[in-house]
Amino acid sequence: MAANYWDSTQAKYWTFTKPELSELRHQLTQHHQPTVSKFHLPDRRHLSIYMQTNLIKLARRLNLRQQALATAQIYIKRFYLRVEIRRTNPYLIMATAIYLACKMEETPQHIRLMLGEAARQWPELGVTETSKIGECEFAVISTLQSRLICHHPYRALGELQGTFGLGTEEGTLAHNIVNDCFNTDLPLLYAPHVIAITAMFLAVVLRPAGQMGGSAAQSALAGFAGLKQAGPKLGKMVDWLAESEVDMEAVIDATQEMVSLYECWEGYSERACKEAITKFMREGK
Amino acid sequence: MDKRHPSSFQQLEKLGEGTYATVFKGRNGQTGAFVALKEIHLDSEEGTPSTAIREISLMKELKHENIVSLYDVIHTENKLMLVFEYMDKDLKKYMDSYHNPNGGPRGALDAPTIKSFMWQLMKGVAFCHDNRVLHRDLKPQNLLINNQGQLKLADFGLARAFGIPVNTFSNEVVTLWYRAPDVLLGSRTYNTSIDIWSAGCIMAEMFTGRPLFPGTTNEDQLLKIFRLMGTPSERSWPGISQFPEYKTTWPVYATQELRNLLPSVDAAGLGLLGQMLQMRPEMRCSAQQALQHPWFAEFQQREAARAGQQAAFR
Repeated sequence: MAANYWDSTQAKYWTFTKPELSELRHQLTQHHQPTVSKFHLPDRRHLSIYMQTNLIKLARRLNLRQQALATAQIYIKRFYLRVEIRRTNPYLIMATAIYLACKMEETPQHIRLMLGEAARQWPELGVTETSKIGECEFAVISTLQSRLICHHPYRALGELQGTFGLGTEEGTLAHNIVNDCFNTDLPLLYAPHVIAITAMFLAVVLRPAGQMGGSAAQSALAGFAGLKQAGPKLGKMVDWLAESEVDMEAVIDATQEMVSLYECWEGYSERACKEAITKFMREGK
Repeated sequence: MDKRHPSSFQQLEKLGEGTYATVFKGRNGQTGAFVALKEIHLDSEEGTPSTAIREISLMKELKHENIVSLYDVIHTENKLMLVFEYMDKDLKKYMDSYHNPNGGPRGALDAPTIKSFMWQLMKGVAFCHDNRVLHRDLKPQNLLINNQGQLKLADFGLARAFGIPVNTFSNEVVTLWYRAPDVLLGSRTYNTSIDIWSAGCIMAEMFTGRPLFPGTTNEDQLLKIFRLMGTPSERSWPGISQFPEYKTTWPVYATQELRNLLPSVDAAGLGLLGQMLQMRPEMRCSAQQALQHPWFAEFQQREAARAGQQAAFR
């Protein structure tokens, strides 16, 4: 179930320019200056990676689909554009986002089961009553102004994979790159097809360099060594894009964002993120 | 966050009890305009009802002249209030209170009104389908009519993960009368064609004033359909024996002519109805195809003329 992207609330209300995004975040930190300066946080992308890792663990336990996981991540991104993270319990927000995303993606989970799994996964959650999730869900819906339908890059990825002649390995790699994009601002900046094309472009360029089984991150760090070998397929993609009306500047910028994410990933420390969150949760009350 | 307060709307009489909500007529305290206020009962156990979440989020996306507008969502401490555009009646009440100047059976509408309503219904359905949204619960109670003769689709709440729910929030049984045979047979791979079947049932009902297939149970509903459309077999519907609800014990009915049941409908109208009321989902016309049907010629011409005029001003 999805409506037309260009007329969607995602395009109209939840897609920003980079200056708009930084202005929103600037206002938020200004508004909560004392809390913000009291608690230093790791790079936003590191926090995102931390949350994604944790969400995936919960999603596996609950046997959720990729789509619901992606939607939950979008809700969290949007929510933290409106609410300062240091004033929240991120584990409660994560559990609630998953719960709400499952309702939206038509795979509803029982609140009790959900909370049980979340509490087992995250001792930091500190919530035992299901009504807490219900209340938080209400607040999230309200903060997101009930604009909850998400358009993800997966559909475009599926549709264009054949057009670009991607092999199975490249397809898998592109899919993984799309999964990784939720750790960047890309879903708040560009249309889903732009992200899908970026992922396919990167997959074609990186695949020959990255050895089988290597993660997208490793492939990216191996650099653009594969560029030459990717020649014919890349040429086909470039030709197609030139003919299309796809915003090429957006694709180029998104490509840079993804490469930069993989560089940033090198410095990721799960412990640092966990401790930073624990600190503001404990002392921020 | 929404700063508006429910008290900015004056609550008037109760309009109805929905599946998961109570609907009141309301008046905007500032403008004096009427609105419909849908108050959502919050389930303390499972949070905000999925049906409500689905309806609200869909209504935020779907803006069309034949879909009822959601003006506002008001969150308070423990209540959710949806502010909808006010419509005078639903199609069910409209039919009940209608007196055909030319006589005819009670509840039956006159032909020009039916055509206008069907055109608007198919416009709204086509818009939903173009946006990959299935309504899944089209029935006269969910089609709203205003004093200008406009028809709008409402109640997008009845959509769930696993098929269509049989019981609503209040345990009242969802009507089966407009449900497509493939859904009744237990299909889970249904698509836009289920809305087309419902629209066909509604069209017939507007002509006769009576529901076309007023079944009481899933089985009875199927048999009522077979009595008119003929009992399907592997020959008429390859693969039918694979459906979960398929029975070898069904009585064998012959196919009846729609014409006999609906003597007041002209040939073109029967042609369209025949394309909508196809047993096999893949044989049903799409909403866009219905809108292209010759029965709607005058509306198509009017629309073309309007498009031409607009082009002239550019």
